[in-house]
Amino acid sequence: MAAISFIAGLNPPASSRAWCSTPHPTLPILATATGTSLRIYSLNSLTLLSTITGGHKRSIRSCAWKPGNSDTATIATGSFDASVGIWSQDEDDNEEWKFAIVLDGHESEVKSVAWSTGGNLLATCSRDKSVWIWEEVGEDDYETVAVLQEHEGDVKCVKWHPEEELLASASYDDDIRLWREDIDDWGCIAVLRGHQSTVWAIDWEPLSGRDETVGSRLVSCSDDVTIRIWKKSPGQEERQAQSRLSIIKSSSAEEWTEEAQLPKTHVRTIYSVAWSKDTHRIVSVGGDGKIVVYAEDKEASKQWQVVAVHECGHQEFEINHVAWTRAKIVGGSVQEVVVTTGDDGEVKLWAVS
Amino acid sequence: MSEILNANPTIRSAADLPSRRREPTKKTKTQRPFGLLSSTIPDSAYTPDPFNPSSSPESEGSDNDEEVEPIDEQEIYDLIAPIQDPEHPLTLGSLSVVNLPDITLSSTLPPTSLSNPSRPAITTVTVLVTPTITHCSLATVIGLGVRVRLEQALPPRFRVDVRIKEGTHSTAEQVNRQLGDKERVAAALENGTLMGVLRKMLEGC
Repeated sequence: MAAISFIAGLNPPASSRAWCSTPHPTLPILATATGTSLRIYSLNSLTLLSTITGGHKRSIRSCAWKPGNSDTATIATGSFDASVGIWSQDEDDNEEWKFAIVLDGHESEVKSVAWSTGGNLLATCSRDKSVWIWEEVGEDDYETVAVLQEHEGDVKCVKWHPEEELLASASYDDDIRLWREDIDDWGCIAVLRGHQSTVWAIDWEPLSGRDETVGSRLVSCSDDVTIRIWKKSPGQEERQAQSRLSIIKSSSAEEWTEEAQLPKTHVRTIYSVAWSKDTHRIVSVGGDGKIVVYAEDKEASKQWQVVAVHECGHQEFEINHVAWTRAKIVGGSVQEVVVTTGDDGEVKLWAVS
Repeated sequence: MSEILNANPTIRSAADLPSRRREPTKKTKTQRPFGLLSSTIPDSAYTPDPFNPSSSPESEGSDNDEEVEPIDEQEIYDLIAPIQDPEHPLTLGSLSVVNLPDITLSSTLPPTSLSNPSRPAITTVTVLVTPTITHCSLATVIGLGVRVRLEQALPPRFRVDVRIKEGTHSTAEQVNRQLGDKERVAAALENGTLMGVLRKMLEGC
């Protein structure tokens, strides 16, 4: 059995509930959403660099860094005030952030925001049951390219596929939906059914280390205290290739099925799940305060085992979010770490041996 | 509230409501699902008056998380019974919307573990709410009031589950889903109008 060991907490912690912490994809910084502000921490010094306030009237629920090779960072925030904010780092003073643009459209709380890998598309979702896709058409200029309204309940989480323009959304209606652009229109190409309650979060299998013949799988966690892995049914590509030859335009539907369930370890709602790029392991956190790490059996794929459990990671508080990142821990080398964010306002770094 | 949904609710007199003072030995140790902690202090040492808010047990210091406090079903009841109904000038206790037998405490994580002896225990409080009429549209607000009251009064090691008692409401499942959704509850508490209603309900607590 591996061990999950506490490295350090980011300093100072927020004074009340923090919803999520998103590490930057390339820079050693991390953003934490708490109340109506966003806290930017250094992953080198593990201290607070800036606090971004003033953009949202209600709590910020989620944040996502825009991928890309720009010298300055850009981050999107989704808030309970129904708006989405996009913030840019000041070119001269990296600790200053300016509110670049506000995207209005959702009717109620925005729950999650996600950038496509290329950084040109932003997906947002809300309690209004819709998923919006925005395209950057110029500097600080965004256009709505799709409003997807097929979910029957709040949409809790959106995530883009690591290389394709394929979007996954998870909902209060217990379903996960996958969306692609077909000719000109974005449409739902698969409904993943199986969870018995709200699906709180999803994450795609990273490109590294996966079986390239199959394509990325999706992991989901739910209020039903299960974690499920979904994959596109094999043979799908072949069938699609054949149907392209036929005169009648085929439906773009894809068949996705549940491949595995991770061993049940949580006893309360599982709020967040993340798939590691480096070690291909999965980590989950939830209302029971547990941090659980799972690994796929090397010999028998699709078989997952719990490799480590840490109880009460944030003492008696619930843990709202988990992510993997790499950090250079003081006095050590760069290593893979787990980042957890809790109702106590703390953001904690953990090493998994 | 322009229209009263239930004009003639059944009201229990104060003398009929459960209280530890009158029945100090009502529950024996073996009957308690959570007797381990509640038995650490004798009942006689702890006699809160549910009708006198100033002596309600939340003033015992909910900010001291380290200390394991003896909280049992009666104390949970005492915290929520004085909540005012959103449409009647009556308490949830007197309307039998909340009832002592519908409150349960269960251990979600036991107090100690070999691998991590310092970790706290986590206890789940489940409250089943009985709306006064089966189609009461205020069931969600009442449930939210109970959840908010307990989350504010209890230490963070408590998880609060508030549900509609089975068979007492036409859209119970929908209401239960909303009440169980942390994100929805958090967002609701940032809604000024709703908070106004909740503040009024909790005034007497």
